[in-house]
Amino acid sequence: MQRIVVDAMGGDHAPDEIVKGAGDASLTLGQTEIILVGDARRISRLLHSVRHDGGRVRVHHAPSAIHMDEKPSEAIAAKPDSSILVAAQMVADGEGDALVSAGNTGASVLACARKWKKIEGIHRTALASVYPTELRRGAKDDPFSLLLDVGATVDATGEDLVAFAVMGAAYAAVISHNSRPRIALLSNGTEAGKGPKEVVQAHQMLLAHTGLNFIGNIEGVDIPRGVADVIVCSGYVGNVVLKMLEGVSETVVNLARYAYKEKLLWRVALAMLSGGIQRLKAITDWEQYGGAPLLGFEHLFIKAHGRSKERAISNAIKVASKAVSAGLTDQIAAGIHELEDRRGGKQRSRA
Amino acid sequence: MTAPRHVFRWDLDKTYLYSEFERVRDLVKSALEKPADKRAVPGAPALLRALRQTPGHRICIVSGSPEQMRRALQAKLRLDGVEYDEFVLKDNIRNLVRGRFRALRAQIPYKLPVLLRSRAALDGSPPETLVGDDAESDALIYSLYADLLDGRIADDELPRIMAADRAYDDQIAEASALARRIPVAPGSVKRILIHLDQRSPTARFTKYGRRLVPIYNYFQAALILYADGVLTARQVLFVALEMLADDQYELPTLANSLQDLVIRGRLHRDTAVQLAAECTDAAAEGALAGHDELPPFEQIAESFKERVRVLGDVPPLEWPEADPKIDYVDLVDSDHSRRRSKRKS
Repeated sequence: MQRIVVDAMGGDHAPDEIVKGAGDASLTLGQTEIILVGDARRISRLLHSVRHDGGRVRVHHAPSAIHMDEKPSEAIAAKPDSSILVAAQMVADGEGDALVSAGNTGASVLACARKWKKIEGIHRTALASVYPTELRRGAKDDPFSLLLDVGATVDATGEDLVAFAVMGAAYAAVISHNSRPRIALLSNGTEAGKGPKEVVQAHQMLLAHTGLNFIGNIEGVDIPRGVADVIVCSGYVGNVVLKMLEGVSETVVNLARYAYKEKLLWRVALAMLSGGIQRLKAITDWEQYGGAPLLGFEHLFIKAHGRSKERAISNAIKVASKAVSAGLTDQIAAGIHELEDRRGGKQRSRA
Repeated sequence: MTAPRHVFRWDLDKTYLYSEFERVRDLVKSALEKPADKRAVPGAPALLRALRQTPGHRICIVSGSPEQMRRALQAKLRLDGVEYDEFVLKDNIRNLVRGRFRALRAQIPYKLPVLLRSRAALDGSPPETLVGDDAESDALIYSLYADLLDGRIADDELPRIMAADRAYDDQIAEASALARRIPVAPGSVKRILIHLDQRSPTARFTKYGRRLVPIYNYFQAALILYADGVLTARQVLFVALEMLADDQYELPTLANSLQDLVIRGRLHRDTAVQLAAECTDAAAEGALAGHDELPPFEQIAESFKERVRVLGDVPPLEWPEADPKIDYVDLVDSDHSRRRSKRKS
């Protein structure tokens, strides 16, 4: 049985929507126990009015919570009994297999960093995010590509980028059933020598030391096209890219709204396109993919969007459960081990 | 008939058995299913067997399944080693022949007279425990029956309630006559357990008061009956063991079920701790002999206590001391509209 620990107090709509999402997941996930960490009084009152399976949901009291607007490092230091810290500790102690939170991103990542160890051979962690693309992939015909890192490690080295590629490949294999995902480095040109030195170095290492399906560098324009299944970059670049892509999506929606108001003809045209727009909306619906996994620790953390409601939380828990049952962290560890073996072997043969 | 010590009334479909009858296809499948293929809800057979162990416990099964399924259902109970004293099914062929189509679906007009008739045939006024599910109107019917025994339903109220559930005049007359005949014995219905087959929110049942406890599984039922003094700790263990033999249940599931009852204010923390101590004693006396797959019982008991401990000082949900006065006519009406909208959706 997998045990998914959920920070019930994290998120704009916590704890109501978190408890509802956990309740929904408890009804659909077979062999999974969901541990809600937070104010037990509030959680139990909410559970009372939510459809759930009382045998699959556990409540663990944590008297305080870190709010979305708090400064992460200060809040973590000031609130050792906060829900996110208690939840991360539970996973560290072996009482849970993965953690899900929609709360303060900085505080959540910091809590994991304080309580968990990194997988041997990994120096920096990566936050991964999915992005809808034109092309589909994997056995599930997944319409998303994976972009990592999107903010956990601002200044990644070439070695870090290679480790991110290994982690991303394992995640795509487990979650999208894409056994041999196309891996690419995000750069300012497709040529091997293009980009900052860490990208150039990573390019050489990915070709030389991994058995990954590395397709080379791609440019920003290739992301929405879906040329690659896993796109690797530093947290600084990834975060800028992700925010820009989100901004473009919002602008398109705003322009459509403007057009709808402006002219009757445009309104009619939009109405005629409504079926297609709905399909587009369904594909780009962030609530369906659950959240962003933080990869590189010995345990899995799924960071759900701060605005997450019932459906997004339920999906985040399902993704966590799936990743745990497929042994994602073990697969990452095996990938890193293989990478080190290959590098060691080549260095030995050179010597 | 010797006065029974305690009467247990059980529904079958969705209470004892996993059954689907939302679609005609499900009904046909259920009718043709062999007894061995029918699946009991884990823990239900063990609980019924445990209840039967005590002399004077009377087990009455009242189901809305058609008479034509009697042989298959009885065979299933036999396979599960469940014994009973009464077994009542619905004679829907008779209803069809007489053109009483409303009676095919109506719940109160069928089940309430059956319960009253059975009660009227008993010597004395024994305590009762009623077990049903959340799929149809068991909570309402059982509460109404309990309130009738309590003398809380006025003479003119029962006909109005039954009429709201589209009962025929003769059904109303029979139920009213039986209700008048049965001696009022307040507090006769000690407990109503509603198996949450549909996983309805437990808050939906608050209106029925403390007496009714919605349960997610039969370990919870066993815990409540232990707290009520009906089952021993050893019998609770037997129910737990049967459930653990099913893939759906593991020790954490049972521990969470206990915590859920504590949170809902349906099981006192001290009772949970007392049960853990008694189960430890029972285990030491060999109650778990032959179950080498389980960890040492001290470890199990500790994990159960831990579930209570991690709740901190948080108080459970509060319950009013007095049971609320239930507006049954209003409940029947809202039940009808809920089912109508469910059918539409």
